[in-house]
Amino acid sequence: MSYRVVHYINQFFANIGGEEMAHVAPELREGFVGPGLAFNQAWKGEAEIVATVVCGDSHFAEHEKEAKAQILAWVRELKPDLFIAGPAFNAGRYGYACANVALAVKEELGIPVLTGMYEENPGADLKDKILIVPTANSAAGMRKAAPVMAKLALKLMKGEKLGASCEDGYMPNGVRVNFFEKERGSKRAVDMLLKKLADKPFTTEYPMPSFDRVAPNPAVKDLSHATVALCTSGGIVPKGNPDHIESSSASHYGEYCIKGVEKLTAETHETAHGGYDPVYANENPNRVLPVDVMREFEREGRIGKLHDYFYTTVGNGTSVANAKKFAAEYAQKLLQAGVNAVIMTST
Amino acid sequence: MKNARDSLIITNNPLLAQCMEDCCEIRLFPECSYREILVKVRDLVYAGHTLYTHPLSGSVKPNETPYKSVVVSKVPHAFSAEQAGIISECIQAADKFTPRNRELTETVRRDFQLIDYTLLAGAVDFDAAAGLSKIKNI
Amino acid sequence: MKLELGFIEIKDIQFSNECKVENGTLFVDAEAVKAFVYEDDDVKACVKSACFDIARPGESVRITPVKDVIEPRVKVEGPGGEFPGVIAKVDTVGSGKTHVLRGMAVVTAGKIVGFQEGIIDMTGPGAEYTPFSKLLNLVMVCEPVEGVHQHEYEHAVRIAGLRAATFIGELGRSVTPDEVKTFETFGIKEGIEKFPNLPRVGYVHMLQSQGLLHDTYVYGVDAKRSLTTILYPTETMDGAIISGNCVSACDKNTTYHHQNNPVVADLFEQHGRTLNYVCNIITNENVYLADKQRSSDWSAKLCRLLDLDGVIVSQEGFGNPDTDLIMNTKKIEQMGVKTTIITDEYAGQDGKSQSLADADPLADAVVTGGNANEVIVLPPMEKVIGTLDYVDKIAGGHAGSLRPDGSIEAELQVITGATNEMGFNRLSAR
Repeated sequence: MSYRVVHYINQFFANIGGEEMAHVAPELREGFVGPGLAFNQAWKGEAEIVATVVCGDSHFAEHEKEAKAQILAWVRELKPDLFIAGPAFNAGRYGYACANVALAVKEELGIPVLTGMYEENPGADLKDKILIVPTANSAAGMRKAAPVMAKLALKLMKGEKLGASCEDGYMPNGVRVNFFEKERGSKRAVDMLLKKLADKPFTTEYPMPSFDRVAPNPAVKDLSHATVALCTSGGIVPKGNPDHIESSSASHYGEYCIKGVEKLTAETHETAHGGYDPVYANENPNRVLPVDVMREFEREGRIGKLHDYFYTTVGNGTSVANAKKFAAEYAQKLLQAGVNAVIMTST
Repeated sequence: MKNARDSLIITNNPLLAQCMEDCCEIRLFPECSYREILVKVRDLVYAGHTLYTHPLSGSVKPNETPYKSVVVSKVPHAFSAEQAGIISECIQAADKFTPRNRELTETVRRDFQLIDYTLLAGAVDFDAAAGLSKIKNI
Repeated sequence: MKLELGFIEIKDIQFSNECKVENGTLFVDAEAVKAFVYEDDDVKACVKSACFDIARPGESVRITPVKDVIEPRVKVEGPGGEFPGVIAKVDTVGSGKTHVLRGMAVVTAGKIVGFQEGIIDMTGPGAEYTPFSKLLNLVMVCEPVEGVHQHEYEHAVRIAGLRAATFIGELGRSVTPDEVKTFETFGIKEGIEKFPNLPRVGYVHMLQSQGLLHDTYVYGVDAKRSLTTILYPTETMDGAIISGNCVSACDKNTTYHHQNNPVVADLFEQHGRTLNYVCNIITNENVYLADKQRSSDWSAKLCRLLDLDGVIVSQEGFGNPDTDLIMNTKKIEQMGVKTTIITDEYAGQDGKSQSLADADPLADAVVTGGNANEVIVLPPMEKVIGTLDYVDKIAGGHAGSLRPDGSIEAELQVITGATNEMGFNRLSAR
């Protein structure tokens, strides 16, 4: 008996068409389609693609929730031993779809998943959550990617222990796994140093955790004339969350007016954050976004003025890339409005 | 001893407290865990006390020995972001060890106390043997 | 300075009523070794008993708890003797001719303190991780005299091991070596003239120096009392550095590691070809933060003073030394000298935690000896040399524990030399 696999591909690889056909809704086909052949061949009968899900990239981007639900329903029914997606190479929306569908299958159905794409594909942001095999940046890389993905897929289906990322060919995923190198450590160190001295590329065996440290600006000289804004990743929003900021993995931020507002109250504001117990923030939203204290300071002349708008999002699992994008955007607005300082609160 | 007048030892090690009580100020928290000592040190570093010894002194792992002693300045000097970084990374490093929950015999306890005490004594140039003979004479 | 090492291949060890090396077999009279070991007053006063046993590669034998591993050698020509400042007089070593009994080691074992670790399995999965499973080991199991202080006893067992190795090494004095190799580094100016186009490379060798059971000695000097200084690489190869480190079995550098320092060996391999190996800089890993700052400032200063282009930095131990490693690396890089560092990792049993207790983006070239928290099951062995008394016994099969069938479920940490931070092994992690 061979293992059963469901494969996910986009409209292009299903030969439906390019960008002009990217709107097609998900469909389920029996057996393999297009690139699935390469996997079937590599598995030599040990595993087989029993069904292929085809979905347009634009459709997935625009109807992610519905598309995911439909695909999950099919996969649940088919009960495969593995769900494999792509490879997406450097097609951004395809990579995003592969990674997110795979993550949903893994989390909702507990089925092993695997995908492949170019390292700079935005879908690769999920490499710590699902296994992703790095590929070339174009479909010409299929010949190299297919055997690596197929081999790793078999390992997952057989429930074998995963080797280190460099052995099994997946993107480093934050889990350190031991293995035996060909050369001893001192020899590797000498080789690495020689490359470094010759300005040749080398690969560290342990990338230092990167801290995006921001050097603080010089202190504001005269706070009593400064306009100070409040910003938060604590999810404080007007009651009812009018812009539907997500409780986790936020995709946008909100800009809200507090002109003339003396303090936030349980009637006017609440938190959209799904990562902490909201009782205390909802009871008194000033605990997260201290409008009350800022007004006091304003009255006492300790600050010049509280800015009329606050900016808010939810920090819960929100990607660093998104968070950076939000801040870069509203920092411009703050600058234009002549804001001199910002108090950023978290939770 | 180095800087004796400006030293404050945060410890849960009764042996150290006995041996070094005459040489500098000691705060003994016999009921505190290894981690709780690190947290107390962190709070003092936040308050501006200078860290004098490395909080993860010793290769004995945080889930092996229950004892920990750290020297900070007796009074706050100035807050140092670098030192706050060191102590917080040490707490993180301590947290990654899986608890062992093993029963420690009295002999093993004494050995752990002795190691913690001698490492700290060595760090601050305190004569560890003299401290030990002092308590033996009592 | 030029050192000639003559390697005598040892292929078997046999107990006998005489002591000699003949056709690659070491015949040893345990009583004679013991008598020589006990000529030392500290050993006499502190070591109640010393028993000998032999462990061969592939045998179903577990040695634990291991204190030190030492390679027997003898100085046959030139100044100095074995373990200068400790056993031999303090004369500078690293030149002349030394005979090495290769393929064997003297292993000291037995309790020092009540939480002693260090396992050498001669076969099975554990043997893959320790380099000492490939050696013929003459094991000396020591017991303390009642009431002796731990620090005195550690010293006595350290001396006992070195004396045993010295006695065995002496047996190779008049044996013709199977292989002879020569190692030489040059004075600053001489080196530049000889290799004008090769990058000048050094080795920053960090020594464990935190205190009791965490010490290293250089020509007999406790490394924590020393400023950062320079050695000829051949001095290190010739027994100038010995280990007094009994804690953290997986990443402690035994005396054998120092004698056979792999960084020194692999830099010599490239010396005169792709690089000019200038010298070793030895620096300590003290507990006092001001000491760390001074020592790392000096490492960086010496790198600059010696006009080095690049260095390899190696570490010893867990936690506290990570700070020294990063301080050294950062300051040396800031001097414009390129670094590659060797460390190991404590990434948790699941491999998901941050591996080091310190980090800096300038440490961009790292070689790792693997994750010491990874769990391994060591099957029971037919024979135990030493005692299993110090392996945790916990009901419920908790990691770090001895199971009823004699197998041990533990982190790699307990295996002597498993994640060595000089890069002695092939083990790594990604």
